[in-house]
Amino acid sequence: MSDEGRIDGYARALFEVARAEGTLDEVEDELFRFARTYESSDTLRDALTDEMVPAAMRQKVVEDLLGGGNATPTTVQLVSMVVGSGRGRDLPAIIDSLVQRASSSKNLELAEVRSAVPLTDDQQDRLKAALANATGKQVNLKVVVDPSVLGGIVATVGDTVIDGSVRTRVDQLKSRL
Amino acid sequence: MSLVSVILVATAEEPHRDDNGQIVTHHWLLPEQSEVIYGTIASLAIFYLLYRFAGPPIKKALVARTARIQAELDASAGALADAEAEAAEIRQAKGDIEEERLRLLAAADAEAEALLTDGRARLEVEIAELEARAAADLEAAAGRSGDELRSEMIRTAGASLEEVVADTLDDATQQELIESFIQRVGAST
Repeated sequence: MSDEGRIDGYARALFEVARAEGTLDEVEDELFRFARTYESSDTLRDALTDEMVPAAMRQKVVEDLLGGGNATPTTVQLVSMVVGSGRGRDLPAIIDSLVQRASSSKNLELAEVRSAVPLTDDQQDRLKAALANATGKQVNLKVVVDPSVLGGIVATVGDTVIDGSVRTRVDQLKSRL
Repeated sequence: MSLVSVILVATAEEPHRDDNGQIVTHHWLLPEQSEVIYGTIASLAIFYLLYRFAGPPIKKALVARTARIQAELDASAGALADAEAEAAEIRQAKGDIEEERLRLLAAADAEAEALLTDGRARLEVEIAELEARAAADLEAAAGRSGDELRSEMIRTAGASLEEVVADTLDDATQQELIESFIQRVGAST
């Protein structure tokens, strides 16, 4: 089985488990945030993918990180299962596939929004409406807090990127220099 | 009276004994008369024999000695002539050597002068090339330094720009940027 097929298989399994337990929205959101954290943290990535670390120890790291009310038990179990099976390296791809699958099941377009600071619920609602108005599609909004954006927002809906970040303006100014 | 007569008269007296029985001769130096006569005859005979038999070999030896001495004198004269000729040759050779030495010295001086001139010319060319190369290197280095300086200034300016922008982005500004983005996206269709 190819890596892509294996990733899709894991995503489908996680999706079915979350939907069966009726926590798909929460699990999807938590997994998405965890995937972004995983991507931005070398330490976490190394801890969860090091073959020299026993699987139980890696699962313990996941439980310590997501347990204690930080995430639903389903999310903790799903991530722990993937890491325990030695697929920690594919975790972001599996989660992205799951989120894409969840959005498709709700006839929504995945909209990834990167902001330097967290958005309030009101801002998320208004942004979701604005993106739906701009793209003509209902969107499944996923907000990622990314300090490298510096300020403003970068929204990616499908193949469309709407860039209102300070980072891009600074980069443009550097290019002019 | 001749000397012989005197000797004969003087020796005519025979030796005899005196009153004391001692033998007395006729003279304290001259021999007896008979002894003089026989001695004279013997001497003449010896002289004759010497003249007759020893004279020719002696004469021959003297002639040979004279010839040998003459030959030696001739040889000495030849050797002297040879020595003088050799000396002349040596003097000639010495003159030639001196001339050769002077010629060699002149040739060496000429070659040294040529080498010096050639070396100076080559050095001048090399110096000119080195100066040109150094000038080109300096110009290139100045260009590189300028480029590096510009790059460094741009890099520093970029980093400073990012820091300045990050410092000016307080919460109010962040919220303003977010609201502005939402409004802009919402306004577009």
